[in-house]
Amino acid sequence: MKKFILAASVLMAIYSCKKEVQKPTENGNELVAEAPKSNNKIVTLNGGITEIVAALGHEKEIVATDVTSTYPESLKKSSENLGHVRSITIEPIMAVSPTLILGSDKDINPELMGKIKASGIKTETFKQEYTVEGTKKLIADVAKAIGNTDYQKLNDKIDADLKQIQPIAKKPKVLFIYARGNMMMVAGKNTPMAALINLAGGENAVNDFEDFKPLTPEAVVKANPDVLFFFSSGLQSSGGNEGALKMPGVSQTNAGKNKKIIAMDGGLVSGFGPRLGEAAVSLNKLLVESTK
Amino acid sequence: MKAQSKLYFYMILSTILLVFIAVWSLNTGVYDFGDRSAFEVLWKVIVGESDLSLSDKYIVWDVRASRIVMTIIIGSMLSVSGTSLQGLFRNPLATGDLIGLTAGATLMAAITIVLGGHFREYLPEAVQFSLVGIAAFIGSLLAMLLVYKISTSGGKTNVVMMLLSGVAISAIGFSITGFLIYISKDEQLRDLTFWNMGSLAAATWTKNIILAVILIISYTILLPKGKALNAMMLGEKDAQHLGINVERLKKQIVIIVSLMVGSCVAFSGTIGFVGLIVPYILRLLFKSNYSFILPLSAIFGSVLLLTADTVSRSVVEPSELPIGILTAMMGAPIFIAILLKFKKSV
Repeated sequence: MKKFILAASVLMAIYSCKKEVQKPTENGNELVAEAPKSNNKIVTLNGGITEIVAALGHEKEIVATDVTSTYPESLKKSSENLGHVRSITIEPIMAVSPTLILGSDKDINPELMGKIKASGIKTETFKQEYTVEGTKKLIADVAKAIGNTDYQKLNDKIDADLKQIQPIAKKPKVLFIYARGNMMMVAGKNTPMAALINLAGGENAVNDFEDFKPLTPEAVVKANPDVLFFFSSGLQSSGGNEGALKMPGVSQTNAGKNKKIIAMDGGLVSGFGPRLGEAAVSLNKLLVESTK
Repeated sequence: MKAQSKLYFYMILSTILLVFIAVWSLNTGVYDFGDRSAFEVLWKVIVGESDLSLSDKYIVWDVRASRIVMTIIIGSMLSVSGTSLQGLFRNPLATGDLIGLTAGATLMAAITIVLGGHFREYLPEAVQFSLVGIAAFIGSLLAMLLVYKISTSGGKTNVVMMLLSGVAISAIGFSITGFLIYISKDEQLRDLTFWNMGSLAAATWTKNIILAVILIISYTILLPKGKALNAMMLGEKDAQHLGINVERLKKQIVIIVSLMVGSCVAFSGTIGFVGLIVPYILRLLFKSNYSFILPLSAIFGSVLLLTADTVSRSVVEPSELPIGILTAMMGAPIFIAILLKFKKSV
């Protein structure tokens, strides 16, 4: 039965590829731009890259993703979730018989990379930089890899979104906190969160180290952030705003005294894909709110 | 002679069992071969038929078969290393984990994962690729040498001192590993956890050849030692009177076990308890007759690990459970059982 359904769906897919995409609109002679159809079966192993492929109109071609690929939500139904990119093994990837694997060069561990290379599946890895320019370049590179040159509109949308950011007179100091196991970590320099905070008109509260470091009460007091910034899921798991205010040292900071706590969706914050502009605008709005 | 034929009978029986498990393992996995079984595809690969798709061939030969072979070798070596150490120390709790070999190997591996970036570029390319593995092997050897140095004086090894220094080395190893976990970045942390729980997913034929060579060398020396280990049970002095060269036996076992444990950790991370479970079960069946349980533990180690690994990659498809979790689940109750038995005898 399973095989029958599989065969049927493959036939359907082939059949749908043959159809001419011509949707006459109201005035009858205008063609709607749709992505050129291809028989690609793509595995994407990075949230941002997944978003780019979907935004270019190739969502139907994505057969499997990693755990960070939470957007668009429709992928949950249409593709296989392979779990965390660091613990993915080769067989589940090959089980979806992909024609193309896309990932970021930092994510895939060398063991798996070796296996993927040996399996002969076409693979492209991309450098991901947490800047506007880096994101645009990533979009262009991913578009090239999937054979779609119509990516300019995504980059234009990022620019258009970024124009909506309202400058904030006195830059608020923002401290991003996330829970790793039972350890609270804060985001330093060169993290997607720090980059997004700067884009949105804020200032990252800690700049004396790179990546993430465990949160200590003294360091929090010293950094004295105006706003605490969480992933929505992380804030929930640490007991909501109440829990955040109880974190060691927080009560002594401006953010704690004025109860300024904001949260955003994790995929939106750290994706650095086509929704970069949207993410920066949402964060900017939250920061404007919190400085009133 | 009767005992000998009985041993052969059990050896053949357990080998047949292992073959069955291997066939089951080969047919387990998320990849779909269409209307063929994985076994048929493997047969076609072996006889060289060319009507196979490349990915069918790759999955059966380079992914599943190589993983099964690696699991068989590693399970066997871990189990034999446990059995030999237990015979040597006359203590059913003596395993590579206990005398600090695993900790030494894990420590070096962790150092390489977290700090490797700083010195990686100064090394030749071939070394870079297998850096973590080589480091683990060196770590296990260093731990062994240190344990040996501490516990040996005037050419005599004191077993209690050996176990205690093993505990000390484990403590040092795990504390430094803990510190490294604390300062690690996210992706490094993922690699470390995987390393600490073991995984057989990275099997390749090249690694299998290296492991097989180590296995053959080790077993040629170790497996005939059953009689000597039986004599050791009477105590070192009596064994000496029976004509066993005790010091030489100790040296051989210690060096070969550290070679086996080091290479196992190097290729598959820390898989605990295999060296504890298998000899324990065999002792229940055959008392402490090492002429029996040494060769049998070589096969039953494979049976146990292959079963555990096949379960680990089929329960949470499409991901896998780290194998160390499963072996610890099986091993911990046995550990307690051994302790309770001891309590009664004291």
